[in-house]
Amino acid sequence: MIFVKSLCTGFIMAYDDQEPPWGKSKGPKSPEEFIAALLKKIKDGFADDGGKGGREGRSVGESGGPWRGFGTIGLVLLAIVAFRLISSSIYTINPGEQGVVLRLGEFSRILNPGLNFVIPMVDEVVKVDIETVRKEEFGFRTRVPGQRTLYSKDSFDAESLMLTGDKNVIDVEWIVQYKVRDPFDFLFKVADVQQSVRDVSETVIRRVVGNMGFDYVLDNRELLAGQTTRELQKALDSYESGVDIVIVQLQDVNPPEQVKPAFNEVNEADQDMKRLVNEAEEAYNRVIPKARGDAKKILEESHGYSVARVNESMGETSRYLALLEEYRRAKDVTRRRLYLETMAEVLPTVSDVYVISDDQKSILPLLDVGAAKKTIDHKAGSNR
Amino acid sequence: MNSFTRTLLIAVLVLVAIVTYDGFYILPEGQQAVITEFGKPIGITETEAGFKFKKPFFHKVTFFDKRIQVWDGDPNQIPTSDKTFIYLDVTARWRIKDALLFLQAVNNVTRAQSILDDILDGTVRDLVNKNDLVEIIRSSDWTPESAGIDAQAGIDEPIKNGRDRIVAMIYAEASKLTPKYGIELVDVMFKRVSYIETVQRKVYDRMISERKRIAAEKRSMGEGQKAEIMGRVERELKEITSKADREAMEIKGKADAEAARIYAEAYNQDPEFYSFTKTLDSYRQAVGSNTRLFMPLDSSFYKYLREQR
Repeated sequence: MIFVKSLCTGFIMAYDDQEPPWGKSKGPKSPEEFIAALLKKIKDGFADDGGKGGREGRSVGESGGPWRGFGTIGLVLLAIVAFRLISSSIYTINPGEQGVVLRLGEFSRILNPGLNFVIPMVDEVVKVDIETVRKEEFGFRTRVPGQRTLYSKDSFDAESLMLTGDKNVIDVEWIVQYKVRDPFDFLFKVADVQQSVRDVSETVIRRVVGNMGFDYVLDNRELLAGQTTRELQKALDSYESGVDIVIVQLQDVNPPEQVKPAFNEVNEADQDMKRLVNEAEEAYNRVIPKARGDAKKILEESHGYSVARVNESMGETSRYLALLEEYRRAKDVTRRRLYLETMAEVLPTVSDVYVISDDQKSILPLLDVGAAKKTIDHKAGSNR
Repeated sequence: MNSFTRTLLIAVLVLVAIVTYDGFYILPEGQQAVITEFGKPIGITETEAGFKFKKPFFHKVTFFDKRIQVWDGDPNQIPTSDKTFIYLDVTARWRIKDALLFLQAVNNVTRAQSILDDILDGTVRDLVNKNDLVEIIRSSDWTPESAGIDAQAGIDEPIKNGRDRIVAMIYAEASKLTPKYGIELVDVMFKRVSYIETVQRKVYDRMISERKRIAAEKRSMGEGQKAEIMGRVERELKEITSKADREAMEIKGKADAEAARIYAEAYNQDPEFYSFTKTLDSYRQAVGSNTRLFMPLDSSFYKYLREQR
């Protein structure tokens, strides 16, 4: 602006000083020469104002060719000015960005990605990245992102420790991802959107956690994240901050460091409990199915017994009945035959048969004989 | 062109130059401006962005931010009404509502922050002092049910205000004081609420003991369940085997009865013959090797033999 101002005044002064500007010379033939002449006059004008300096300038002008040297310089200057003007009126917006155009400070329009034209020196463009997801980390900071990202976790306790509804303390780490929805609001409604996102998410998550019990927080991460997202978005909308919450993602939700061993103990106890139950179940499984099988065996055996018993009795009785029938036909003979057959069968297996008279009162004297024979037999048996 | 017109022209040009130089200003978006005449406010505040005119040299423009700004309180320990301390980090949003008033009373943002320090720290302290610890750590809409906390934990004492209502009261209280500085308070938030160091340690101890209790409970529950199962093993084992034995006996008994019936049916036809054959069978079984058979002379066997003679 100042440049333009001095340009104007300078030109006019030059016009005043030297009467008809291009009367002396042949007159400019081309615009370049016209500009060159103009610039020369400007120069002279300044030189006149300067007094002493002006005289020097004029002497220089008189000694060299008056137009030639300044003509080329002027041409270059003009080219530069023209180039600046044209280039500043073309504005490229990269993909994923939007440009907010302020015309004399006032919002006029939004530029979309691509080639855009603006009025130089009147329009001001502020680019805003609207695609990139911005991230805020709470309770930790990414130190070196990469394939194996390094985190620094120390000394963010104040950020991540919070109170639960049952007056316990819990360590929650989370991230908030957000995107610019409205670049104008984002730029001009809230001074520090990032800080607001941080403050509000800390407040909101503490509020939600404060409403939940400790174990409930540990078990219901999605619920916590969802509720936080909703409340956070509502608060940021109320500021017209122009951002959209993409996601609230809970990272580690843990008991505080000092309490962790006790929590691990509970987990161990839980495992112990399951182990004991498993052991008992194992014993059960080892014993009971086998017992069931054994029981079946006993039953089957008893069935077998009963069948055998009945069959046996039936066999025996049918044999008996058959015999009885024959016996009935010839009672005496059969009776004798059976008796004698039995005797014939039995007697050969008996070692000694003593026939004793009815008068014989004692059989003792005879025993020695048998004993002697028996020992001989015995000896013979053992010698064999 | 005579010298008069020349002078006039120069004067006009100078005027134009002055106006161009200082006769306007551009108010960008997100800002507001107050016009003062030699330091004296003339009641003009511009809040809409754009190209604005003013009296050159006479008027001075002071720009202020129109956007919502952050105030972040100094984290502090504050005593509650039940004589314990709580660690509070309060933050607030504010904006310059009346730029003229702001210019007169505050002048710049740094001073505004320190004024907010005074106002908010004071009101926070007042209201926290009036409430119990539990009121501050819990939200107003808190119920044991919403928290998934079982009532047996003994923490279901009702709350009178709750954090949200206390914050709302702080906001209401502080909002009464800020307008005279041209400041509008957008909201007040308890960013962080936590126990102070000593209390925290005690809380940790309590949490640890609580967990130990649960762990012990789980262990003994495991033992109990194991014992129960082992008992069931014993019981079922006995049940199964004894039942099988009983059934087996029953089956066998039935079979025996059946057999007895069959035998009886058959033998009843001629009991005398049965005892004869049975005697013979018994002989067969009873008399074997290494037996000495004493046979009286009048035994049937001999009798037959003698009869043959």
